[in-house]
Amino acid sequence: MNRTISLLFTLLLALQPAFGQSAKDIIRKSEEIRRGVQSSQAEMTMTIVRPDWTRTMSLKSWSKGDDYALMLVTAPARDAGMATLKRSNEVWNWVPRIERTIKLPRSMMSQSWMGSDFTNNDLVQEVSIIDDYEHRILKDSTIQGRNCWKIELIPHDEAAVVWGKVISFVSKTDYLVLRSEYFDEDGYLINVLQSSGIKTLGGRTFATKLEMIPMENPGHKTVLEYQNIVFDQPFTDEFFSVQNMKRVR
Amino acid sequence: MIFTLAWRNLWRNRRRTFITTGSIVLAVVLAVFMRSMQEGVYQKMIENVVGFYTGYAQVHQAGYWEEKTIDNSFESMTALDEARAANPRIVGVVPRLESFLLVYHGNASQVAQVVGISPEEENGLTQLGGMVKEGEYLRLDDQSVMIGSGLAKKLNAGIGDTLVLFGQGYQGSTASELLPVSGILQFGSQQLNDRMLYLPLPVAQGLFAAPDRLTAYALDLQAPGDEVAVTAALKSSLPEDYEVMDWREMMPELVQSIESDRLGGYLTMGILYLIIGFGIFGTALMMVAERQYEFGVLTAIGMKRRLLSQVMTAEMVLMALLGVVIGVAIALPVVVYFHYNPFEITGKSAEGYAAFGIEPIIPTAISGTIIAWQTLVVLLMTLAVSIYPVIKILRIDPVKAMRV
Repeated sequence: MNRTISLLFTLLLALQPAFGQSAKDIIRKSEEIRRGVQSSQAEMTMTIVRPDWTRTMSLKSWSKGDDYALMLVTAPARDAGMATLKRSNEVWNWVPRIERTIKLPRSMMSQSWMGSDFTNNDLVQEVSIIDDYEHRILKDSTIQGRNCWKIELIPHDEAAVVWGKVISFVSKTDYLVLRSEYFDEDGYLINVLQSSGIKTLGGRTFATKLEMIPMENPGHKTVLEYQNIVFDQPFTDEFFSVQNMKRVR
Repeated sequence: MIFTLAWRNLWRNRRRTFITTGSIVLAVVLAVFMRSMQEGVYQKMIENVVGFYTGYAQVHQAGYWEEKTIDNSFESMTALDEARAANPRIVGVVPRLESFLLVYHGNASQVAQVVGISPEEENGLTQLGGMVKEGEYLRLDDQSVMIGSGLAKKLNAGIGDTLVLFGQGYQGSTASELLPVSGILQFGSQQLNDRMLYLPLPVAQGLFAAPDRLTAYALDLQAPGDEVAVTAALKSSLPEDYEVMDWREMMPELVQSIESDRLGGYLTMGILYLIIGFGIFGTALMMVAERQYEFGVLTAIGMKRRLLSQVMTAEMVLMALLGVVIGVAIALPVVVYFHYNPFEITGKSAEGYAAFGIEPIIPTAISGTIIAWQTLVVLLMTLAVSIYPVIKILRIDPVKAMRV
């Protein structure tokens, strides 16, 4: 009798993954869609919206895996040529105006990137959304007419994450993260990241418009719009070097 | 007549008078000195924070004090210069553009409070020029910075070294500049030493991409206390886009800590006066008992009780006045001496003071109000104490009194 039960349990445990994908798999898949399995290369504009002014920047970005990312400002003229490089845990800025590379202190990682509602962390993804969180599927829901998984992400205790909890809505057909809600440790909703403008770009269905909306500041948001994206081009690690950051165009 | 009698009575028993007056003198000296020192510390605190940095009042874009970002800056204006011309209480109008930036030198980086100043006006308000420890004070057309000594140490930077300034400018632009250090400043406050970086206003406006913009006008006023009238006047004359704040509004926590500390001081003084009060009461009791025969004889030969009680009260008041006058005469030179030669705190507690941004010295305040209040309190106390002998005299029965 006992043996039969334990055998049943073992069977059940072994079978579990086959019933459906785990929340972690869904998030991993959506990350691959967004950033490519190996690499991505994109052109985009970033618009900072404030109650009494807006400001638009043109950017180019490259990323490779979790460890490497590079962003280059191409307009406006005053800031053109500025670059931000992420190499594993280090973040560097290249400021052509003063011809200096500047290593960003860790304390600045949660600060705003160039005045936007994105933090340095958001852009260079120091924290792995896959490895540094515990994932759980909550229930199905519908966003922008698309069927979505609602997934709860709770950061691991040792992860350097400012959030207490993240709720992501991932579309079931295309694995697009349509909406993410960022909560602080007291459970208050701080930021909402919304995706829209779903088109075919870079050979796949892709959300071309990202809006970061801080809940505490009405009238504030930052809009990121992709013009162009190419996935999985080969890049050497040397491409993401401090030397190359100064040269890249 | 009453006072002549009272005066003569006082010197009939000198020892009693000396003891009573002595205890009053001691009370007055202690109270005046304690209060002067307390108020002196408060004045010093206010002077340090207000005088070295904020000024007694400031004008900003409405909402700046709540959210101190460079986006809440405003275009420089002439309205305040006109106000200064019209209002003699406003001695100086000091423009500033400030924000926080990262400062790099070699491998070291620090966050600094970066303040664009008009050097001459700034010196008028905060005597910043006097803080220069090494190098020279800024000129408006310089292309260099002055930094606090603590910041210089942390960055390992000296005169002539070039610093990298990097961060956020106006409306999301990037602020980046290379500037040499031309001066190192030594403040009394460690907080200021560790984070201040000054540069000429035009350089700051270029750096932050905020041409012709300011975050604050600090006002230099003729005398402390003028800020109330000046803020009220400016509030009504400036458009609503601006906020005018005096230091009390800007630093409510300073006001609160002074208030609560002062309350503690009052409590100590209350206890001190209670002790002295009972001392005086004791002498009054002794006096009544000693002079019962005398009072009995006087009433028996027809002295009016009312008149007798008035003489008694006059004696008490004279003693109190004598005590206060002598007490003040002793306390005043001491207070004045320590005002100009304040106690210097040394060692660990000095570091504590420095960490809070206060110079580690305790000066005394020379204040007429303090002296007037002590005099009043002692006099009232004496009057209150003399109620007992007065009642005793009014009820005196000469026959019983003389049979002691």
